[in-house]
Amino acid sequence: MKMPVTLNINNTTWNLDIDANATLLEVLRNNVLNQQSVHRSCEEGECGACTVLMDGKPVNSCLVMAASAQGSTIITSEGLMRGDELHPLMKAFVDELGLQCGFCTPGMVMSAYALINQWEDEELSDMDIRKAIEGNLCRCTGYVNIVNSIRRAKQAKDAGNWW
Amino acid sequence: MENRETRLISGKGQYADDLDFPGMAHLVFVGSPHAHAVIKRLEVDKALKVPGVLTVITGQEMVKYTNPLPVQANFKSKGWTWRLAHVYAMPKDKVRWYGEPVAAVVAEDEKTARKAADLVEVEYEPLAVTGNALEALEPDAPKLYDDWEDNKQVHLKFDFGEPETAFEEADQVMHIKTREGRVTGLPIEGRGCVANYNLKKDTLEMWGSFQTPYLARHNIAATLGMPEVKVKINAVDIGGAFGLKIHAWKENVVALASKLTGRHVKWFEPQKDFIVTGPHQRDVFWEGDVAFKNDGTLLGVKATVTHDLGVESTNKGIAALSIFPACSAVPNMYRWKGMHIEGVGAATNKSFYCAYRGYGKDKGIKFIEHALNQIARKLGMTPEAIRLKNYIQPDEFPYHQINSYVYDSGDYPGTLKKALDMANVDEVRAKKEQYLKEGKYIGVGVISAIEPAGVAVPNCQMGGITQARVQITADGTIEVHSDRTEIGQGSEASHAIIVSNILGCNREDVLVKPVTSDYIGQGPLSSRGAVYPASAVAKAAKILKKKVSQCAAAFLKVDEASLVMEGGLIFSSNNPDEKLTYKELAEKSYFFPGPRGLPPEILKNHDHLLDVTTTWYSPTTPDSGSSYTSFCTSADVAVVEVDIDTGATKIIKYAHVHDAGTIIDKQIVDGQIHGGIVQGIGEALSERLDYNEKGQLMTSSFSTYLIPTAVEAPDIEVAHLETPSPFTETGSKGMGEAPIIGSKAVILAAIEDALTPFNIEVNESPATPERVRSWIVAARKEQEESK
Repeated sequence: MKMPVTLNINNTTWNLDIDANATLLEVLRNNVLNQQSVHRSCEEGECGACTVLMDGKPVNSCLVMAASAQGSTIITSEGLMRGDELHPLMKAFVDELGLQCGFCTPGMVMSAYALINQWEDEELSDMDIRKAIEGNLCRCTGYVNIVNSIRRAKQAKDAGNWW
Repeated sequence: MENRETRLISGKGQYADDLDFPGMAHLVFVGSPHAHAVIKRLEVDKALKVPGVLTVITGQEMVKYTNPLPVQANFKSKGWTWRLAHVYAMPKDKVRWYGEPVAAVVAEDEKTARKAADLVEVEYEPLAVTGNALEALEPDAPKLYDDWEDNKQVHLKFDFGEPETAFEEADQVMHIKTREGRVTGLPIEGRGCVANYNLKKDTLEMWGSFQTPYLARHNIAATLGMPEVKVKINAVDIGGAFGLKIHAWKENVVALASKLTGRHVKWFEPQKDFIVTGPHQRDVFWEGDVAFKNDGTLLGVKATVTHDLGVESTNKGIAALSIFPACSAVPNMYRWKGMHIEGVGAATNKSFYCAYRGYGKDKGIKFIEHALNQIARKLGMTPEAIRLKNYIQPDEFPYHQINSYVYDSGDYPGTLKKALDMANVDEVRAKKEQYLKEGKYIGVGVISAIEPAGVAVPNCQMGGITQARVQITADGTIEVHSDRTEIGQGSEASHAIIVSNILGCNREDVLVKPVTSDYIGQGPLSSRGAVYPASAVAKAAKILKKKVSQCAAAFLKVDEASLVMEGGLIFSSNNPDEKLTYKELAEKSYFFPGPRGLPPEILKNHDHLLDVTTTWYSPTTPDSGSSYTSFCTSADVAVVEVDIDTGATKIIKYAHVHDAGTIIDKQIVDGQIHGGIVQGIGEALSERLDYNEKGQLMTSSFSTYLIPTAVEAPDIEVAHLETPSPFTETGSKGMGEAPIIGSKAVILAAIEDALTPFNIEVNESPATPERVRSWIVAARKEQEESK
């Protein structure tokens, strides 16, 4: 069964005709939206590879029915780019080698973005960072350089280099 | 050129799941719910009637259209037990493990294929299940393969040095038993590929998560009965591999599906299937004696390691090959008189065995390191004292170990001492009694390891083949080819650094190409990236540099010996103002003035193209028989706290000192260390593939197969020594496995030290909270009873 849904994805509004039982992950990855940074792995909300922001909050897009996302604002990691320019958070990941195979990275970046965006304090401890990305599994990095990347991104934000 | 990390983080990665071709069909497997059963009836009619379904492939089709899976390792000739199974990519009449695919549904889209897969009807007659290696070796155990005498797939026997003399000279002999659970490497991305069989040309091309495209081509072509020249395999971006994407097995079915439908066919594996039907590792039982003197001098070992290999079904011998390094790694970095080691492998009704970071080296080292800790405890020595007493010394290299390995270089005492300092071991130990008074069980673990790297063994597909090509294109950019796929371990960046350092060109002008089966080689496995492919690339770049000098000297009209190549420029030190860029050099060499503009000698020697393809082979392996070329060193020191009420282990401090020879790129090496350590921590504390009595895997998701999250993973302090290897082109040593070898052992050693008041020998992994609790409960009971 098809049904209409309106989604704002990375600042563009889409009126889509979707399968009623499609997940947000499936809709984002389909041929129309082609958000290939949203990766499919466990499809049961355990690995975090498909994390996107839904109305500002990180969600596992494999667990969200696309129909239930009607009217919401979705940001994927592609949406953090300014044209070809990397977001300072992404730049931090590249500089600190916070990625190896790169498969978990876009989801990891979205959880980190949500953390830093809403973090008001000066202090951001490593454990705060680790807790924020606990739902994003990485098998390559041992998380060390990911934590370093996010710490560096926080410094960028504090220095006014953020969007 | 945009670097790889920037490309990936911008969402431009092209992983298997991102592959898309016009008219592409999708394939979904149907797995067996039984671990061991006869297929009585298999009905596909209902599935075929679903609109959009193109075909359903079963074992019948595999037998009709393909060959049995090819043999990849065969040591029958050596007089050992070495059995192979005659099997196809899918079975016709019998399943041997839970999840084994019995049918593959091909449809216009994946959802339709899944729907139809549910309609494939299979009637099974369950058979008795052989659940573990020890059971499998019992005389009346249910047999997996009818044509085998029993379930013993492999039995290897090694005599290193003089084992009998070692035991004769011993003051004491200690009996050691250890047990390591079954685990899987589990990258976050499963396996996946697209196959395109061109019916007009009878060619096959595949794209996917192939860790070793050249081997994949060889094996898929053999299975499909095609000449290799008509098959091409392309590696795309790979979401982690760790050895688990070396074999090609289900990929054969995808290839056949494309041949039968004439369509591009895609398969992307659900993560659950990757755990249930993917490669497994470890699952060993060690038992044996270690001989030593009262002063702590090590003499010898007599031990047997029994492996639970699961089914012998998908990669024909390569799994069993892992028993060799398990046996050969036991001497580790110490002097010995002799050893007798036996390696046994049993076939059971579990998913198959294949490579995972360590590949057996970890098992031998973990066993001997555990034994050393027990001996030290008995002799009242610290764990570092017994190691320092027995280390091979820095002035003894190259050192011919009793197992024929030729150790290249290292500073074993220096490595360990540095790690002890970093973890402030003396301070922690001094406070131990105080901690105990406060009810805190703090322990220090100390482990040191070598990492045999860059495998080359006979009688198998891991013989040491590699090929590299470095070409300066006509516009002066430089392309590099090799068999070293990028699986997140930094192949592309490492090759680019090596080439730009040798040629003095700009790193961003070097493009390391994605790996295809066009270049010969066994790919990155056994940490051979920095040994074989890196040496081959370095060698090609050095030969190319000579050609560049000849051509540039001719164009600049200067003496070749005076040439300098740096910053992308080539000039004579006598006349630095007249420079050539690589672009200018290439254009002059190829087109204007072209080869005719070069000196006659260059043309007569056929040296005019700035393009070199070459190979490399270990300088030590041919004469010594050493299966490995470089031996990186590491020392791990961990401080943990065990909560004796919950059994939970918390890592307070983790220090790792690493000597991988000359470092190509520190950030990459550090990343490998961090990742390997945390995988080892998972093995030590939480990861377990648990099968129930029916042979069904109970831990088949991320919520039950527990890999460490960012919260469980510790901060890791890393330091480096750099003792160059004299045996590789760059001085670098293969690395990436040492961290998992050390970490999984050191955590257990630290728990054992923390539990000293209970006198518990921690010889079983993973040390899950419930298991630690059960040890404590048992120890308390024993203590009470003895009162």
